[in-house]
Amino acid sequence: MNVRVKRREFLNLLAAFGGTGAALNAGAALNLLPAASHAQTLDLRSPDPSKKQVVILGGGLSGLTVAYELTKRGYDCTVLEASHRCGGRVLTVRHGDLIDEIGNPQYCSFDDEPHMYFNAGAARIPSSHKNILGYCKELGVDLEVFINENKSAYVQDDKMLSGNRIRNIEFTTNMRGFMAELMAKALTHEELNQPFSDAEAEALLSSIRAFGDLKENDLYEGSFRAGYKSGGFLKHGVQKDMIAFRDLLKSRLGRQLLSANEGDTGPILMQPVGGMDKIISGFLNHVGERVKYRAIVNSVEVLDSGVKIVYDHDGARQSFDADYCFNCIPTHLMVGITNNFPDDYKKAMKYVRRGDAYKAAFQAKSRFWEDQEIYGGISWSNSPSRQIWYPSHGIHKSKGIVLAAYDYGGGIYHTQMSQSDRIEAHLSDAEKIHPDFRDNVEKPITVAWHRMNHMLGCSARWQRSFSTGWTHDEEKLYETLRAPVNNRHFFIGDQISMHSAWQESAVMSAQWSLTKLDAYVRQDLA
Amino acid sequence: MPNLISRAIRRRYGKPALLITFALASAICVSAPNEPVNDRYCKTCHGSDGRGNEAIQAPILAGMEEWYLIRQLKNYRGKVRGFHPSDERGIAMQAMANSLSDESIRDIVGWIKTWEYTPPDATVDGDKAEGKKLYASCAACHREDASGNEAIGAPPLAYQNDWYLVKQLENFTNGYRGTHENDIFGQQMVTMVKQLKDDTGIRNVVSYITSLRSD
Repeated sequence: MNVRVKRREFLNLLAAFGGTGAALNAGAALNLLPAASHAQTLDLRSPDPSKKQVVILGGGLSGLTVAYELTKRGYDCTVLEASHRCGGRVLTVRHGDLIDEIGNPQYCSFDDEPHMYFNAGAARIPSSHKNILGYCKELGVDLEVFINENKSAYVQDDKMLSGNRIRNIEFTTNMRGFMAELMAKALTHEELNQPFSDAEAEALLSSIRAFGDLKENDLYEGSFRAGYKSGGFLKHGVQKDMIAFRDLLKSRLGRQLLSANEGDTGPILMQPVGGMDKIISGFLNHVGERVKYRAIVNSVEVLDSGVKIVYDHDGARQSFDADYCFNCIPTHLMVGITNNFPDDYKKAMKYVRRGDAYKAAFQAKSRFWEDQEIYGGISWSNSPSRQIWYPSHGIHKSKGIVLAAYDYGGGIYHTQMSQSDRIEAHLSDAEKIHPDFRDNVEKPITVAWHRMNHMLGCSARWQRSFSTGWTHDEEKLYETLRAPVNNRHFFIGDQISMHSAWQESAVMSAQWSLTKLDAYVRQDLA
Repeated sequence: MPNLISRAIRRRYGKPALLITFALASAICVSAPNEPVNDRYCKTCHGSDGRGNEAIQAPILAGMEEWYLIRQLKNYRGKVRGFHPSDERGIAMQAMANSLSDESIRDIVGWIKTWEYTPPDATVDGDKAEGKKLYASCAACHREDASGNEAIGAPPLAYQNDWYLVKQLENFTNGYRGTHENDIFGQQMVTMVKQLKDDTGIRNVVSYITSLRSD
């Protein structure tokens, strides 16, 4: 760092390195991120007794939210669910469950115990997601803390340190130290004092020093924060060797590791005790008898007076006339279901792309990670399997379910493999982090959302480009699709939100449509 | 580890009859244990009564000739089709057909026969006059009216989704289909598509083919 750093470069540096928190605040101010709010209170009026038939297509979270709210108000709801289960992508896998992947059906043979499960879809509830939390409270769904970031978990990258694993805390402590050193050096240049008063500059510098655990000379020389090499309790602790900045920069994982605790995945996250589908069970406790399973919708016809649904059930073609229809069938499947939607609707349905997230898990014969100081959280890798999730629940029990792959962006890579190739890929990837992984696990399950029957995709993708954000055209298509058709048909689900892949979005989409229905009903009754 | 998979498959063909009762009896359980499955997955991708789904790129099945359906299902099963890494849709279909028994194929084809054909919307815009000239060489096998010719293994074309015909012609052009040594008919297509020259030629000939429908 002999080269002088210009002020502009420093400010860019701040944005690039230290700017995560700052960027989040700025983003919230610009309404780029969902702002914290109160849970929606729905003041829905009771229906006209002659217009209270509601059909809900799909027993996913948004569909069940509608069924629950409208049944409470005296509507007569029927849920047509194509598969053998409700919940859609709220899928908890446990003993005996069918994973209904087209061409690759699997049955789960995990031990039949309450803590032996994994959440194959929705898995985390942020504390700011007040509407889904509101339903958890109302439905009596017990919650526990979900551990997302774990500083004791591992980071492994074939390009870094000869592929040897290091602890998350070693990576982040050293990374922060070097980043702080850069910032401190930049700030001490005289010309940089200009934007700040002396007091501000001192406050900033002391924060930077604390951020990176710098020595008095503003140099980073390693830190006890990364853990002790030895001692620390009854003898003085011996500091671990510093890892060179250049070595850390060989991995691209810093991007994820430094933001794992920000935004939607920032602490505190929660999960229902016993599996995410306890939320689904909570709704079904109230509206379970309203659900027809294995009812496959053949056509949706919006009429002046209501909606006509034709569906196949119990080997027979049946039809249902409803006053209102709420539809959480994925748009990419709705394209193939006969309908009379307006052309701009059909165009919007075809625009949305289906997500291809992928997860895989094993039953571990012992909770070997707990012997390695890992309790919950995630290990990160540059391998295609990307992440290992250790269960936050069942701590110190004899066994657990460990997630050995979560590809949230490009799951097609594993999706296109045979089941045995997928399993081998995860075993060999995990062995780089836990050398004895293969011997410690059994009973694999893979969930390739792109091929799951009746879903064929994970969360909807509206944006063609994540770097440029939503285009004006995309916003228009979105507004088209969420507007009711003829005040009779309402598309719902996290797919009809600007923040897909979260249960909160599914619930809020349902609630938004319910307020639209209510406005129409009040107008109709007036 | 492979033993675990075969065990799972054996479980699949276990004795599900008793367990169906569980599924029906329980409203509160999100999922019943050991839910039975069968191979009738078609409509999830291919849409209402197999009328095709452009968003999934899954073509019309209703109205397709039985002999052609059987041949293609067997081609997929044997990885004669759906093998190329760039043929994403073909790979998905291959995975579906991979474990089908002959009995299952007969069952599926018999099921498809019960679906009513509905003409698909036109989505491809091309020069039909130019397409007609290009089609002259296709007609030898697929007939003048694109109704197909079972005797020489040429399927009907006129009633198919136009976007699917485009995709398949592109697949033949790019070597994603028709390059397997056992794909006798596909190999002929690889030779024939060269006459279409480019994307414009493909669009022109497809728009002509689907104009031959007498819906």
